[in-house]
Amino acid sequence: MSSRRSRSRQSGASAEITDAQITDLVSKLQQLIPELRARRSDKVSSAKVLQETCNYIKNLHREVDDLSDRLSELLANTDSNSAQAAIIRSLLM
Amino acid sequence: MESLSFSLHSNLHSLTLLQHSNQNKKRRKITHQNSLALTPWTSHTQHRLYSSNLLLALRRNSNPTASLQVRAAADRVLAATAKGRTRWSRAILANPFGRWRKQRQRHHKKVKNCSANKCMKKTTPDIRRRLPAVQKKARVLGKLIPGCRKVSFPKLLEEAGDYISALEMQVRAMKALADLLPTGAPPPDPIGLS
Repeated sequence: MSSRRSRSRQSGASAEITDAQITDLVSKLQQLIPELRARRSDKVSSAKVLQETCNYIKNLHREVDDLSDRLSELLANTDSNSAQAAIIRSLLM
Repeated sequence: MESLSFSLHSNLHSLTLLQHSNQNKKRRKITHQNSLALTPWTSHTQHRLYSSNLLLALRRNSNPTASLQVRAAADRVLAATAKGRTRWSRAILANPFGRWRKQRQRHHKKVKNCSANKCMKKTTPDIRRRLPAVQKKARVLGKLIPGCRKVSFPKLLEEAGDYISALEMQVRAMKALADLLPTGAPPPDPIGLS
């Protein structure tokens, strides 16, 4: 029952959303992408915004991968618990 | 004002997130989805909360922490920090190894050649109305964000915005952690470690 209600609500909500609201969402998304923010032009198409959004998310994923590798190596080298305890204390302060 | 106090109260309550308690399934339906109280990813509190929770999660693992485990922990803590208020965070909490498992499977997958009609049938009505270029990129975007393969176009845009802000905070926090952990040798360039 709850799933049916949520589905019906979702479909109703999506039908009510106008093109102006979609344009507003695309514009907000555009502000988050550094590549598009630097351009400062209003003529960026929705397809371009989506393309740059995909590229930016892939870049962030790659950064998380690299940082995970780096943290994994650093944790392997850290053998004393006191060092980690000091780090935790500094972070919590 | 009320949203700010609510956010602070949620932050205090979320300090016990690591115990992985079951979240109550109350899903508040608000008429304007834009007014949802999303996590303020740029705030200092969220940054510190994520960093401390990530360190605690990493300490739980066995001594030789594999890189895959670090990634999974980083994503799981990120989703926990979001408190399941977005679709992508709920998807990560439901399947924490989902993204990395897909990467493995991707090597063995064959390239599908589906006809245009088949592709059209799979898309939701909102995406179908859009131009083909937007439709194609929306499908790619839906695959990049956890749990957003089959959502409507407006919902996809909302989830993308929140997911990008969360990823940016994750990168900042992990960089700070990497700088804090002691290294075997002093770095050659003391200014920047990137």
